[in-house]
Amino acid sequence: MQRTKGYLDEQFCQIEDLQDETSPNFAEEVVSLFFKDSVRLVTNIEQAMEKYPEDFNRWDAHMQQLKGSCYSIGASKMNNECTLFRNNCGQENAEGCMRSFQKVKREHAILRQKLESYFQLLRQAGPAGTATRPAGK
Amino acid sequence: MAPPEEAGGGEFPVGMKVLVVDDDPTCLAVLKQMLVQCRYDATTCSQSTRALSMLRENRRGFDVIISDVHMPDMDGFRLLELVGLEMDLPVIMMSADSRTDIVMKGIKHGACDYLIKPVRMEELKNIWQHVVRKKFSGNKEHEHSGSLDDTDRNRPANNDNEYASSINDGADDSWKSQKKKRDKEEDDSELESGDPSNSSKKPRVVWSVELHQQFVNAVNHLGIDKAVPKKILELMNVPGLTRENVASHLQKFRLYLKRIAQHHAGITNPYCTPASSAQVASLGGLDFQALAASGQIPPQALAALQDELLGRTTTSMVLPGRDQSSLRLAAVKGNKPQGEREIAFGQPIFKCQNNSYGAFPQSSPTVGRLPSFSAWPNNKLGMADSTSTLGNVNNSQNSNIVLHELQQQPDTMLSGTLHALDVKPSGIAMPSQSLNTFPASEGLSPNQSGFLTTIPPSMKPEPALPNSQQSNNLLGGIDLINQASTSQPFSNSHGGNLPGLMNHNSNVMPSQGISNFQTGNIPYLVNNSSIGVGSKPPGVLKTESTDSLNQSFGYICGSSPMDSGLLSSQPRNAQFGFLQSPNDVTGGWSLQNVDNYRNTIGPSHPVSSSSSFQSSNVALGKLPDQGRGKNLGFVGKGTCIPNRFAVDEVESPTNSLSHSIGSSGDIPDIFGFSGQM
Repeated sequence: MQRTKGYLDEQFCQIEDLQDETSPNFAEEVVSLFFKDSVRLVTNIEQAMEKYPEDFNRWDAHMQQLKGSCYSIGASKMNNECTLFRNNCGQENAEGCMRSFQKVKREHAILRQKLESYFQLLRQAGPAGTATRPAGK
Repeated sequence: MAPPEEAGGGEFPVGMKVLVVDDDPTCLAVLKQMLVQCRYDATTCSQSTRALSMLRENRRGFDVIISDVHMPDMDGFRLLELVGLEMDLPVIMMSADSRTDIVMKGIKHGACDYLIKPVRMEELKNIWQHVVRKKFSGNKEHEHSGSLDDTDRNRPANNDNEYASSINDGADDSWKSQKKKRDKEEDDSELESGDPSNSSKKPRVVWSVELHQQFVNAVNHLGIDKAVPKKILELMNVPGLTRENVASHLQKFRLYLKRIAQHHAGITNPYCTPASSAQVASLGGLDFQALAASGQIPPQALAALQDELLGRTTTSMVLPGRDQSSLRLAAVKGNKPQGEREIAFGQPIFKCQNNSYGAFPQSSPTVGRLPSFSAWPNNKLGMADSTSTLGNVNNSQNSNIVLHELQQQPDTMLSGTLHALDVKPSGIAMPSQSLNTFPASEGLSPNQSGFLTTIPPSMKPEPALPNSQQSNNLLGGIDLINQASTSQPFSNSHGGNLPGLMNHNSNVMPSQGISNFQTGNIPYLVNNSSIGVGSKPPGVLKTESTDSLNQSFGYICGSSPMDSGLLSSQPRNAQFGFLQSPNDVTGGWSLQNVDNYRNTIGPSHPVSSSSSFQSSNVALGKLPDQGRGKNLGFVGKGTCIPNRFAVDEVESPTNSLSHSIGSSGDIPDIFGFSGQM
């Protein structure tokens, strides 16, 4: 389920693989860290876009940070949208940026939802299900 | 190749201490877990400034550092440089950005490796190799210091070539050759490595301010082009120091100079974004203008200095006078009465100094008399310390060198007269004479009105900088740095307070942040321990507390007894008198002040020492072993403010000042150090 349609990539696998006895919920912790931080970054971008219209460099710089975060957990789809946003910045296409940004937010929300469900299922599956993606799921 | 102990089976790299620096918490968490799984001992840190202070406090506490490139408080490259210079630890860069030019930049700044995010376990598993490699090189140095003639001979050749190439071409080639050299060393030292105590744990050579100063002096004496490790080693005559140590240090130094040069040439750095410049501009206030006016310091040098301080890439912001002033600062700093200090500030302390340092003959012909600076005692400060000097910084010689940037001040100055500087403390604003007095404490020219104000006549080296107080004034600009939090624009310092100089060092030590910067500047200084800083805050170097500041350059004020303020205190910021005209980059060291600025200011001025070095050779040499804390700006106190010397801040120009001020809590990144973004 996790890997559905490329929402997450290999990096996420690695994160899950990092779980062990001492950090049994590592993946979930990282994911929640990610969402906490990414919300902040998304807000930054939003504010920057409002406060500094057409300041593409600034927007781009903020997005770069968000992108880096995406890389860390393997959020590939969201990452793609971030890339598109940066492309628009490069082309100084403000409207394109707006649209891309909406997409980024959307993917962000979708991913969060999916991951929340995912972890919920994992918990339901019990400790046995941890360490790697539950087989059955 | 790994020594049995080290790579032995499971001993090493298990438990290898890794420090990870990244502003992205997600990435930090993931990396930490990965490292733990690799059985390394991982510590994470989200702020480079904090990381730097941690490193400074505990040099041996970490074996390798992994740092992100884009960080808000300080550019990863700068951190890289600082760490490399101060602590000689392997640093691995990391980023989602895989552009070749950025990677290249990392290499040039001395990164052992460059990882592209997302980082995989496999990559992390191999990072221990960098640690071993470095250790081997280091060990070899110790073990074979001089004994392995062959190797040594080879190495010098290699080194020289490498240096040359690095200086000229850029890191790529040199780095490779370096690597080769290391490999060779590793091979050679296989035997040695067998000895755990020796090889595996070869103690790193700590380039304290004094040591660095000696180094600088030696280099100055020889001339940067002719400075080969062997000769430098001879001149320095430090027991226990190996050729390899010197060689690697020299290489760094050259890189630094090169960067400074580039910086001055306006090549680089965008570091300081205009925003920062504004702040820095205040620095400019330093009487750079005055200095510049004096004509002593080549405008370019000043500009460069200013730039550095401000982090501006080019003189744009630099105050017109600044250029000169910066130079002056250097010079002034030198004034240390110590006599030895020749700090080459080269600045023509023009007028004032003559008194003080004697070395600078008042006449500093060129000294353009900085009106304000006058107080700048002949900057012999920088140099002055070299008592021990290798080559003697003798001031005359050294000073000359340094000065020559500035003006070619009469040798007299440097020659030890620094002590004599008579720098009349005239405290502040003394245009011409007072400067000399300054050296005592801050080295900053008395002119600075605020500065040293306290600088009691005759340079009271120590008291002069009542640490807290002084800092404000003197540094004017430097204060910024010192104050770490005080973002004071340099303006105060006037008097040529070279940003670095001022550091009231004692005072400034404030936020480590600044200090860090300062230290950052002089990579060489590294002394975290801020040499001497503790004791007397020589006004300048206050290294102790401020660490950074002291490092800076010029502490000219260095409260320490007249240590010519420069680095007087302690760590004697090895200001080596770089003060030399910043322009020349050669002066790398000389500009002590300038450099200091760099350090503190962080802005893009890489430890500037390098730049000034060239011309300033003089400056460098001059600094007599300050003994005190020759902080080259690093003044090791640990907190040194990382110099911006990463001049090439690659990343974002934005780093500069704008961030600095607000960023990092500690150091008011006055210069926009914070490499951010």
